[in-house]
Amino acid sequence: MTALPFGAVPLVRRQLLARRGRTLAGVLGIAVALLLVLALKAIFAGMESRLTAFIDGTGADVIVAQEGVTTMHMTQSALAAGTVEAIAGVPGVASTEGFLYKGAFVETGPNGKSGIVALVGGGPVPNLIDGRAPRSGEIVLDRVLADTLGAGEGDVVRVLGARLRVSGQVEGTAAITGSFAYVARATLEQVLKVRNVVSYALVRARPGTDAGELAARINRDVAGVTASTRASFAASERRVVGDMSTDIVRGMILVGFVIGVAVAGLVAYSQVLAQLRDYGILRALGLSARRALMIVAGQVALLVLSGFVLALALTALLAAVLPELSATLVLSLRPVDVAQAAAVAGAVALVAALVPVIHVVRVEPASVFRRTS
Amino acid sequence: MSDPVVTVRGLSKTFGEGETRVEAVRDVDLELGRGEIVLVMGPSGSGKTTLLSMLGGLLRPTSGEVLVDGTDIAALSERELPPFRARSFGFVFQDFNLLAALTARENVEVALNLGGSAGGEAHERADQLLTGLGLTGRREFGVDKLSGGEKQRVAIARAIANHPRLIFADEPTANLDAAHGAETMRLLRGLAKDEGTTVVIVSHDQRLREVADRVLWLDDGQLKHLEALVRDAVCGMLLDPAQAPASLDSGSETLYFCSRGCLREFQESAAPELDRGGPARARPPA
Repeated sequence: MTALPFGAVPLVRRQLLARRGRTLAGVLGIAVALLLVLALKAIFAGMESRLTAFIDGTGADVIVAQEGVTTMHMTQSALAAGTVEAIAGVPGVASTEGFLYKGAFVETGPNGKSGIVALVGGGPVPNLIDGRAPRSGEIVLDRVLADTLGAGEGDVVRVLGARLRVSGQVEGTAAITGSFAYVARATLEQVLKVRNVVSYALVRARPGTDAGELAARINRDVAGVTASTRASFAASERRVVGDMSTDIVRGMILVGFVIGVAVAGLVAYSQVLAQLRDYGILRALGLSARRALMIVAGQVALLVLSGFVLALALTALLAAVLPELSATLVLSLRPVDVAQAAAVAGAVALVAALVPVIHVVRVEPASVFRRTS
Repeated sequence: MSDPVVTVRGLSKTFGEGETRVEAVRDVDLELGRGEIVLVMGPSGSGKTTLLSMLGGLLRPTSGEVLVDGTDIAALSERELPPFRARSFGFVFQDFNLLAALTARENVEVALNLGGSAGGEAHERADQLLTGLGLTGRREFGVDKLSGGEKQRVAIARAIANHPRLIFADEPTANLDAAHGAETMRLLRGLAKDEGTTVVIVSHDQRLREVADRVLWLDDGQLKHLEALVRDAVCGMLLDPAQAPASLDSGSETLYFCSRGCLREFQESAAPELDRGGPARARPPA
């Protein structure tokens, strides 16, 4: 019999708890390492959700852009008025609404505060919590930006050289990259000095019409456009953040992995070194080398699992606390990111267990006869 | 010996190679009977612990066989040996060798777990053993809270937990005071005589000769018959006359010494007496 039977003395736990301070320090170290991975992923996930706040809130089934354009951020799109009319004529389209889009700074004065906005001219104003939708010469700001600028309803802000009066506030769009601001289409046309052109068109489908089929139909029937369902357009938007963050996240995963391996490995190795005599005793009593290996692997796994659970708890705590400290810092903990951190934790456990396991397997049962003093 | 529990044939163990080669145990033949207490004595470095390790399946011999009830443990695989050891052998050590992370009861339970018993069954057996050894109130104590005598009793409980055929005790009384040493001797004797367990003790403690059925002398890796040994006339060390470093022929008898130092000491202190008895002739080492 090489494995201890069910109901046996829990050697893995007992030996870890025998040196509580060392074990706790190890769990904390591993938790911090995994927290780096989890928190960063959560920050980018939070940013992504804010980035698509407008798209998600439009209620449109299909979003149409200039040919080859599938996002709003980090790109530019222009559709002629005639193109929007052509889209309206496609079978299955219930309504179309064009809007202009432009990245800009909002300022409160020559020496005042400023913030970056994604300026939307025309279309719906999702998540309006205060005031009213903008009319000519007016602007709706995100609550967080409005608070930062100290610009309340009726105050005047400057955007692209124009003076606009704040008519209301929305929420849920502020991220560390900026927030959404809304003006009337005519206002933005005036500011940008453009006419008969929009950036994107929001399309509603007739009841019973599938959004995917409608997008395909628009792409087929209208020249010079790229139509996407709202879901796929939002996914493209999230990919913008994903692409920007990939290298950063990869770097942080590597850092977290290295720190995790170092901490878990050192703790496990020092535990094993301190307990080499115990392993000699157990081997003399009849513990197989394979089972000794499993005990050490179990200790490392328990350390890393505890660290992972603690890291999850700390990330959840950060997600609750950070927005209170900085409204633009939103953390969103997604199952896919938790799974990725779990995979990192698993890899940490595997690598960290290697050296201690080799050490324990080499313990000779006869070493038990060596005197301790 | 009829029906021996252990039969050892041509057992040898060599460590190292070339100039560092050491023959720790050389061609040992031995039989151990059921319920017998065998005390293995000998000078430090004579190979006692190596012999014990091989008998207990803790160390692979270089050559020879160790048959335990017909099973050659030297031929068992790494997979077969640990469970055989757990079920057939018990160990008692000088340093007690209890697991510090566990309580007294858990130390006994671990041995039971390794022997294939767990849960309530192991729990009850451990309790029963510890109670039998007068440790009822100490069962949940950590090892560091136990006295030396208590630790040794826990170690004995652990050693006998799986009803082993053999118990190997390495200097079992060395770290104990006289009273606890005597108690340990009594327990070992009880195991042999009441339970039929064969007990092999390696020790320098002369008191253990009182409980031993047989005393073996290991010197330079070889077993010697104790009856054939002589005592150094100065330090009292047991010596093989054929290998004594020095001896002195006094006419009526030959005295043997473990070293030239003992011979010189003897000659200086006993010179007048020797003068009266006639000239004594010192002999060079054999």
